[in-house]
Amino acid sequence: MRTKRIILILALVLFALPGMIWAAGGQETGDQEIVLKWPTIWVGEDSKAATVAALVDEFNEMYAGKYQVVIEANPDYDAYRNKLNSQIAAGVVPDLFVFNPDPTSFSFYEGKDLLMDFSAELAGDWGDNFVSGSIEGATIKGETKSVPFEVGYTPVWYNMDIMEAAGVKSIPATYDEFFAAAEKIKAAGFIPTSQMTGGTNAWTSMLWFSHIAASLGGPKVWDKPITDPVFVQAAEILQMMYADGNTSKDAVGGDAGVAGGHFLAGRSAMFINGPWYIGRVRSDAPDVYAATKIGPAPGAAFSGAQIGFPQTNLAAGYTDDPRKKEAVVAFMRWMTKPENVKAIAFDSGAMFAVKYSVAAGEKVDQLQAQFMNAVNDASFVNSHFQFNFTTDVVAEFGQALAKMALGRATPEEFVQQIADKIR
Amino acid sequence: MRNKNWKQILLFLAPVLVLFVAYFVYPLGFVFVTSFTDWNGIGAMEFSGLDNYLGLFGDETFRTSLGNNITWALVLGFVQIPLAAGMAMILARKPKGWKMFRTVYFLPNVISQVALAMMWLAIYNAEHGILNSFLELAGMSGLTRNWLGNMTTAFPAVIIQQIFYIGYFMIVILASRMGISESYYEAAEIDGANIFQQERHITIPMLKGILITTMTLALAYGMRHFESTYLMTNGGPAHATSVMGILLYRNLGALNYGEANAIGSILIIFGGATIALIRWLFSRNDNTSDSVQ
Repeated sequence: MRTKRIILILALVLFALPGMIWAAGGQETGDQEIVLKWPTIWVGEDSKAATVAALVDEFNEMYAGKYQVVIEANPDYDAYRNKLNSQIAAGVVPDLFVFNPDPTSFSFYEGKDLLMDFSAELAGDWGDNFVSGSIEGATIKGETKSVPFEVGYTPVWYNMDIMEAAGVKSIPATYDEFFAAAEKIKAAGFIPTSQMTGGTNAWTSMLWFSHIAASLGGPKVWDKPITDPVFVQAAEILQMMYADGNTSKDAVGGDAGVAGGHFLAGRSAMFINGPWYIGRVRSDAPDVYAATKIGPAPGAAFSGAQIGFPQTNLAAGYTDDPRKKEAVVAFMRWMTKPENVKAIAFDSGAMFAVKYSVAAGEKVDQLQAQFMNAVNDASFVNSHFQFNFTTDVVAEFGQALAKMALGRATPEEFVQQIADKIR
Repeated sequence: MRNKNWKQILLFLAPVLVLFVAYFVYPLGFVFVTSFTDWNGIGAMEFSGLDNYLGLFGDETFRTSLGNNITWALVLGFVQIPLAAGMAMILARKPKGWKMFRTVYFLPNVISQVALAMMWLAIYNAEHGILNSFLELAGMSGLTRNWLGNMTTAFPAVIIQQIFYIGYFMIVILASRMGISESYYEAAEIDGANIFQQERHITIPMLKGILITTMTLALAYGMRHFESTYLMTNGGPAHATSVMGILLYRNLGALNYGEANAIGSILIIFGGATIALIRWLFSRNDNTSDSVQ
């Protein structure tokens, strides 16, 4: 009888244990303090990590005993994205999270009671903090289930030390000038462009393709089908960038580390990335940082285009607990407060959908200032390829590009391979 | 005959059964059922019959991936295991420094797969990789290439780096080999058998069970292979190194859960079939096998 009781108690403990552990990890601790868990990519070596951590600490101090935000480090962007997708599909949405706004991620909006809707709060004075059009860009069917935060602009980074060493006097204005400059750069012993077909999105080459498409097709280029002759022509130019030593030998199959690495090491003359990379170049390659000039890609039928897009939105899991919602909104307002955004921007070089003013005496990073000028001087701003297609189509871009770069596919076959992936 | 302790037996089994059903049977059933749907994981599921499966088998990338997985399985099963077995047989004879070699061969198993992949990326790199530098030093510049960025060399390059990680299977086989009584070998030696004859007629028959087990495991690992390919090439260039796991992962990322689960189901079916086939091949006409699979 005693043995049976012991067995029964052990069995009960075994069944109850997971529940107790789960309950212990719940949302409220101590004297009804609301704890918000924030799995984020802005940790570790990310250029925004230090300021974001400081802002979270400041928020926790300000609301001590009432709200607390706990950062959960997820330094791998792709792993973070996939983890988030799986969690959300399973209906387990983190209290706070960030995502790249694209057609795949915006499908999170479809789920009933998955994400918190901020439309009512943003309709008030809070909404005035944001750059015109950014809230509309995060709104679908009247619901603003994320808060626009970081934006990306990806002009071309020109290493002027290399350009000058090669005898290239100015940044190329057309693709004829571009390939003429590439010949001189090669002759001087450097790599003309950083490219990559690897990673999840062939990032650098995807941005080159987006720039070329904008210069050939203009502001409405993404309204055209991907098999349009404009994209075939863009593919021809991109193919030439991979030919005749116009990029590094490891570009096919290379990832962002390869493309960025050649630029950081002062080996490649032209590279594309967003302002978040400024902090990295400044700290890891001060000579390259000093030699970099930010400018538009070469023009064709259209000149002076820039590529810009919402880079990261802030979001929160739905809750019907008014206190928790209050905590989330307080934190969102804190993170998008103009002076806090300015602090992150100044520290990392990143650009944001939140307006802030720069006083006359304040020194803006010289590359960030060049970014702002490049955007201001742009004849028009287009989004990139990735913003217009789902992630499986974006993944196919890199595979199709590798095939074309290796001479196994023509530009027509390249665009057709992408088109076949579109559902 | 009914066991009079059935209540206690059931009580002890219940926790494991509950966990087994919750974490294995239910997810497996869920994957299989949802593989017949068009579902993005968020909206409603729509029954799509065999569309996901027909779409996959009609897709060249999937067929390449399936072929690559089969190649992985065959290479691991029929190249890596014989290498591991051969090395185990050599080390079992305790040559000088055998303990050091045992440790060295096992070492990669305690190193993160990510670190190993990064090391091989550095070795194969086209611009500053050790392999190309070595070829240049040896006067074979014509052979240098972008090993992982070339459709002909990428797949062999990824496979080769994996083949030599024989440590895990070698230790398993070695442990079994050490259990064979030395008296068999002494008797064979007295009868004039050389080392090769001893291995052929004593070791291999006596290790048959563990060899089948390790081979089955290696084949299963090959069918579900993912990590090093994902880390080194992400399936590229142009899907040349793609495996089913990568397609599954990519579909999950794109919220194509129906298709992802169809790939998952195919993986399970092919994995199961591979194990069944190898068991059948090796165990027919043999009732003595002590393999544990």
